[in-house]
Amino acid sequence: MNFSGVEILALVLLVGTAVMVVRLGNAVHAALALIANFLVVAGVYVALEARFVAMTQIIVYAGAIVVLCLFVIMLLSAAKANIGAEIMPALPWVGLVGAIGLAAVLIFAVTRFQPAGNVPALNGGLPQALGPLLYDPNRWLYALLVVGFLLLVATVAAVVLVEPERIIKATGHAAHPEGDGEPKPAKEKEVVKQ
Amino acid sequence: MIWLITSALMFAVGAYGALTRRTAILVFLSVELMLNASALALIAFSNLTGSLEPQVVVLFVIAIAAAEVAVGLGLIVAIFRRRETTSVDDLRQLRG
Repeated sequence: MNFSGVEILALVLLVGTAVMVVRLGNAVHAALALIANFLVVAGVYVALEARFVAMTQIIVYAGAIVVLCLFVIMLLSAAKANIGAEIMPALPWVGLVGAIGLAAVLIFAVTRFQPAGNVPALNGGLPQALGPLLYDPNRWLYALLVVGFLLLVATVAAVVLVEPERIIKATGHAAHPEGDGEPKPAKEKEVVKQ
Repeated sequence: MIWLITSALMFAVGAYGALTRRTAILVFLSVELMLNASALALIAFSNLTGSLEPQVVVLFVIAIAAAEVAVGLGLIVAIFRRRETTSVDDLRQLRG
């Protein structure tokens, strides 16, 4: 296994930005590092003959998903990452050991993979090559329709979750009939005494 | 082969973040990182085997990640409105 300099550079960039995502103390900086990670991944996709997936990666992941996360971070003023008390002080070290173990197992698994001798050409992974697969009723067409319906349901669910008061007003159904979900331990103690 | 190793490392880093972060949004970003690592592994396998099917699967992964983000961020905003916090340590009413 000998790797070119560009591949090593991409590996360092990908793992470095990934570590920044999980370690930076500012949530906005972590989200920006995630965008950098996704852009490098899109470059790797182009190198691996998956150009349509690379464009989708840039538009959907870097352009929509992370920007949505950034909106929520700034909306909630949740830029400070290390909030709350450290209730398990040893957790970072336990997590580090677990992550190293997981990485070792995964690398052991993927390096056992033997690539075939002569592989057919991928046509650059262009939409002309992917479209017939995606819209073939014997392959992926029904999965595509199900995913489209899933996206619709997810969008409706997001609206209902964020605006329950408007749903209550429109339908007359109380989304949370018992009021807020605060626990009431005093009442429970009385029941136990009786 | 190097891309398979890269995706394994990215997945492990994402798992570390999902375990150790205390803010719900950052746990969420770590899960996105893990999803992305698995997509990178699929594309690497597509290139190694000369099959286009993994690229179609990656398109589905991206679409489902978008749906997951819509619902997940909706949940985080709804929890923040009721509890004034996004710390996952404060949300343990369901723990026995």
